Amino acid sequence: MANPFSRVGEVFGRVPRWVYVAAALVFAIVFPMLESYGLMQTLWLRLGTRTLVYVLLAVGLNLVLGETGLLHLGYVAFFAVGAYSTAILSSPRFDLQWNFWLIMVIAMLLAMLFGFIVGIPSLRLRGDYLAIVTLAFGEIVRMTLNNWEWLTNGPGGIPGIYPPVIFGWVVDQPAEFFYLLLVVVVIVVALVSNIKNSRIGRAWNALREDEIASHHSGVRPTQAKMLAVVMSSGIAGLAGAIFAYYQQFINPTYFLFMQSVIVVCMVVLGGMGSIPGAVLGAVALDATPEIIRQTFTTWLPRAVGSDFLPAVQAALQTDFDRYRMLIFGLVIVLMVIFRPEGLLPNQLWRREVHEEDPREIEHTRQHLFDFEEGRQDLEV
Amino acid sequence: MTLEHIFGLTVSGLTVGMIYALIALGYTMVYGVLQLINFAHGEVFTIGGYIAASTLIWIGVDATTPLAVKFAYFGLALLVSLVLTATLGFLIERIAYRPLRNRSRIIALLSAIGTSIFLQNLLVIVFGPQPIIMPTAVVPTGFVEIFGARIRVLQITIIVVSLLLMALLTWIVKGTRMGKAMRATSQDREAAEMMGIETNLTISFTFVVGSALAAIGGFLVAMYYGSLQFNTGFLYGLKAFTAAVLGGIGNIPGAVVGSLVLGLAENWGVGLNLGVLAWLFVGGLLLGLYFQLVRAPRFRIDHIAEEFRTPAYERRVRDVYRFAPVVALKTLFAERTDALLYVSAQHAVRLTAANVILLGLAVLFFVNGDVQFASKWQHVISFAVLMAILMFRPSGILGEHIQEKV
Repeated sequence: MANPFSRVGEVFGRVPRWVYVAAALVFAIVFPMLESYGLMQTLWLRLGTRTLVYVLLAVGLNLVLGETGLLHLGYVAFFAVGAYSTAILSSPRFDLQWNFWLIMVIAMLLAMLFGFIVGIPSLRLRGDYLAIVTLAFGEIVRMTLNNWEWLTNGPGGIPGIYPPVIFGWVVDQPAEFFYLLLVVVVIVVALVSNIKNSRIGRAWNALREDEIASHHSGVRPTQAKMLAVVMSSGIAGLAGAIFAYYQQFINPTYFLFMQSVIVVCMVVLGGMGSIPGAVLGAVALDATPEIIRQTFTTWLPRAVGSDFLPAVQAALQTDFDRYRMLIFGLVIVLMVIFRPEGLLPNQLWRREVHEEDPREIEHTRQHLFDFEEGRQDLEV
Repeated sequence: MTLEHIFGLTVSGLTVGMIYALIALGYTMVYGVLQLINFAHGEVFTIGGYIAASTLIWIGVDATTPLAVKFAYFGLALLVSLVLTATLGFLIERIAYRPLRNRSRIIALLSAIGTSIFLQNLLVIVFGPQPIIMPTAVVPTGFVEIFGARIRVLQITIIVVSLLLMALLTWIVKGTRMGKAMRATSQDREAAEMMGIETNLTISFTFVVGSALAAIGGFLVAMYYGSLQFNTGFLYGLKAFTAAVLGGIGNIPGAVVGSLVLGLAENWGVGLNLGVLAWLFVGGLLLGLYFQLVRAPRFRIDHIAEEFRTPAYERRVRDVYRFAPVVALKTLFAERTDALLYVSAQHAVRLTAANVILLGLAVLFFVNGDVQFASKWQHVISFAVLMAILMFRPSGILGEHIQEKV
């Protein structure tokens, strides 16, 4: 334990978890108020809202990728299904303006149905086929959105989506969307963490660790995996529906393969199978690049004079997205090689990826001993 | 629709199929040895083409260069591309895959996808987002008339070069010590290691060979289409993987067969530009699948010994057939131990799937009629084929050659 970081980790680890949750919630509630009192540009509020959409996606994908250990590379397809349900049912395109609640239900059910359809061929096969089938499915959905012009207006997209009306409350300000999403995120996170600690969640974890052993212990692999895929699709559909309302305009370029990769990256960075990890991963990967860009293009030039590192500025202005993706790719590779348990690890997964490390074995033994002596709860 | 036209399309289908095969071989060899989908392979292919094209641009070939010098430059570009791309393949395995070899599969897959993203964006940062244009001076421009169809010399070149490379690969795998080591490693890595085979070296060699083939594929594509874009590899990689699965993953002849089938299907379907023909092809495939599905199950109720055929049992079996769709849905999740019921339930699944396919066929024949339909939906069709193969015959046309880890 010579590593200074582990000392820091111990100190932070002693603070109970509810303190962090409360701090994050308070920050999230105060965050939009900064904008309304003029302390912050609207840009940051928009960024925060987008981050919450990603949080929803990362928490949803975590069910499949983190809990069940299935690599799902077409997650954005279900997001697209949700978004297009909203766009079609609540826009001038077909002159429809359906009820908010009805659209939420339709978007979720439709996304779940698509998840089921993808699951049928792929979940009964070897695990790595799922990656390629979901990837292909994501592309099929995007190309269909591009080509099926009667329904989706092709590459032109669907503009002018009406704002949602919830019990007479017309949601059309960025801050209102932020709060709406915050409520949804809190509900989803609460539900998901309950499922995670239930029989179903334990079945998922068992499947991730050893499919054959868990099958022989009474877990039905196909059924359990299907449940994970369908539930996470539903969450993506929900996120997509709200995203479409918020964006007011959607077209197929919002649903590129790269979006799926970004969400995968968030889950891996935060820690597979860890809900706080998924939230942290989403916040880190969505907000950090924007903060870096603002630092170099706005804040630093303002502080030290306008000609601060012009080459860096030019590169950030033109190729920013490319550098961002380059670093995301690197982050995935480095994380899985050096810290596969992620930034905020789930204890079970950490022990699994380090199962050959003698220190981990000692830790597990000590922990089980403490548990049997009644000194500590079983940590999962 | 003349015969010459069809012949021309067949040749271009073979050309594209050969290129798919060059990429698919890399996928299938790596899968055979490591049971890993090498997502970065599509990027290796693009980078191979980029390096060759930029070498030629850097040398500066133009129409006035004499033919012999052109050939020399061409060889030089190929050599540079081969060496650099093979090194890249080696490095990818060494850096991104080797440290993870004993970890769970999803970890290695994640690393592969990360590598792919990294390489693709590196390519854009180095070469810019605009496509790289192949110098036209080195591309053979002539035509040959065969059966009345005008075939480009380049197409013949591509087919011949690919065939030669495949012969070379077959020789390497079947005829050399290294090939023997590759086959042994793909059968059982631990046992191969115990027999004194350097498995690490063998795996590196597999990556080097696969990357070199992909680099040549990239070069040929750049010549065939005149340009390459940073994301060309994504689609080609996906298609080549489809081809590898179609032929049976881990199976080297299978990769070639699958690629040719895919290339021909795409070209006949799209090139004829007639919705009807494209759909006839897809429809034919699906019909074949249909007849395979509705085949009688291997043993039915009358093959069961007399003492087990109680009336109650017969009724249960009849019910399974009567409510085929419901049972089909149920059996998707059920792991039954009752052998007879299981067989009849499997048959019910097949019947339902077959009916769904027939329904789909009917819809297809009603929907088509739009001339541009086939070309617009080409990729969607390819991916749908992939999903259909995985659904009904995941082992591919020639069967898969991999060792299942338990």
